[in-house]
Amino acid sequence: MDRETLRRLELLNQLSLTETQKEEVTAFFSDREKDMAMLNAIDTSQTERQVHVMPIMTVVREDVASQPFTVEELQKGAPETDQGYWCVPQVME
Amino acid sequence: MNYETVIGLEVHVELATKSKIFCSCNAKYGAGPNEHVCPACCGMPGMLPVVNKRVVDYGMKAGMMLNCHINRTTTFDKKSYYYPDLPCAYQTTQWFAPVAVNGTVEIETSKGKKNVRIKQIHMEEDAGKLVHDLAEDTTHVDFNRTSVPLIEIVSQPDLSSAEEVEAYLERLKMLLRYAKVAECAMEHGTMRCDVNLSVRPEGSDQLGVRTEMKNMNSIEAIKHAIEYETARHIDAIENGTEVLVQETRRWDDIKGKSFAMRNKETAGDYRYFPDPNLMPVVIDDEWYDSIRESLPELPEEKFARYTGELGLNEYDAAQLIKSIALCECFEAAYAVCGNAKEASNWMISEVMSILNQRKMTYDMLNVNGTALGELIKLVMAGEVGRANGKKILAAMFDDTEIVPAEYAKANGYIMSNDVGLIEKVVKEVIASEEKAVNDYKNGKEKALMSLFGRCMKELKGNCDPQVLKSVLTETLNNQ
Repeated sequence: MDRETLRRLELLNQLSLTETQKEEVTAFFSDREKDMAMLNAIDTSQTERQVHVMPIMTVVREDVASQPFTVEELQKGAPETDQGYWCVPQVME
Repeated sequence: MNYETVIGLEVHVELATKSKIFCSCNAKYGAGPNEHVCPACCGMPGMLPVVNKRVVDYGMKAGMMLNCHINRTTTFDKKSYYYPDLPCAYQTTQWFAPVAVNGTVEIETSKGKKNVRIKQIHMEEDAGKLVHDLAEDTTHVDFNRTSVPLIEIVSQPDLSSAEEVEAYLERLKMLLRYAKVAECAMEHGTMRCDVNLSVRPEGSDQLGVRTEMKNMNSIEAIKHAIEYETARHIDAIENGTEVLVQETRRWDDIKGKSFAMRNKETAGDYRYFPDPNLMPVVIDDEWYDSIRESLPELPEEKFARYTGELGLNEYDAAQLIKSIALCECFEAAYAVCGNAKEASNWMISEVMSILNQRKMTYDMLNVNGTALGELIKLVMAGEVGRANGKKILAAMFDDTEIVPAEYAKANGYIMSNDVGLIEKVVKEVIASEEKAVNDYKNGKEKALMSLFGRCMKELKGNCDPQVLKSVLTETLNNQ
């Protein structure tokens, strides 16, 4: 983990780290990279891909439409609404 | 130096389901703001997604139509994405194990046939809609479209011209419509296409700088965008007019130009990770086989059957296979009337003509094929004249419940074989059309057609043309 990668991660996650935090995070991820390198050294070419640690699968539902909530109910806690829309700070100039 | 264009497409297709992908909200377009929304699809904390089975059905079906391998264990992942049109700040999509991979689509252009490789098809949720012009300082958010199911079809960079892209998109539309998994109408936004494009010297195996273009809402716009972007790249390489960078660009169809939107993200920027709220979808043999068995006859297979077994000529067969709706109507009509050529003639001459007049696409055809077959039978049996048959067909476009025999009877369209009535009408017309009668007697053959038309009008078309012609000429010649 170098400073440039960290800067990009800060940007992507919309974070602003202090110098101390940057050093901590850099050290932490550098250690994790070593862990990953150890895992990557294991030959898994003959191993079946595991997608979940438990042998479980998702449930599915039938394609039936319903509308149990009204707009008013859903927007009760909204800071600002207008004509059925949620309002957010302008995202385009 | 000659250059070649290298194009890969990412095609988003909205699936024709009743409800959304992870909740039971209505997926239909056209409701008022946020009327098709629940706590799950508007991102309320603690809500959990539940997969719509039909979305997986359609994802598999699309994959099979495009000759893909179906991943029998397929998983959902979160794609980090900060923008108010996705309330969770991530999109639930598929990255690590998409439903279908490694397919091919055969296209045909003026240069011949070519296979385009499909990298993958993944299932995902759509984003909501942002309205920027209702107020000055705020953006209005409508989550109706949030979580409406999509598949994204990602091709390999195997396309090299606007013509090939058009052929590829038309082929995708046809196959997905045959499978009835999607409407695929670019004008309605149910099919959207992003174009990844680069250019390189002809014969080179190195790829050039790639740009991604968005915001094309028709195949024509896509073709213009490809032509513009290709010229821009070549100009930059040859004349140094600008430095090409990997970026996402927006196509402006009115200005006929593309404009930089943002630096192109790489997959790493999205920080995909397995969605802990959705367990793997495991497709067992029974599920897989049921989808495989539900696949439709392909257009080429229909063409072979129509020209072989049913004896249609190639032109007629090619017209009919343009749309699954045309095929279904034709086949239902043929099943009732038993005459493939006659059913095909009605489809091509009359049904398609009315569709064109009404500016309807072939897929909007709403005529009941069985009723059309009954109508064709009436005309073939001489019980209804062809002209009146056309009138009945036009009425069948407006009212799908019409029973042709009943409608013909109620509107006086049943053919009369009453020679006495025909003779009476002929005599009346001859008496009232002195000039035409004299013209005919002076050798003007056209006058006979005029008198024939007038008689047919008086009989409201309910007369065998041969009988009428015979009575008319006989009466005239005996005068």
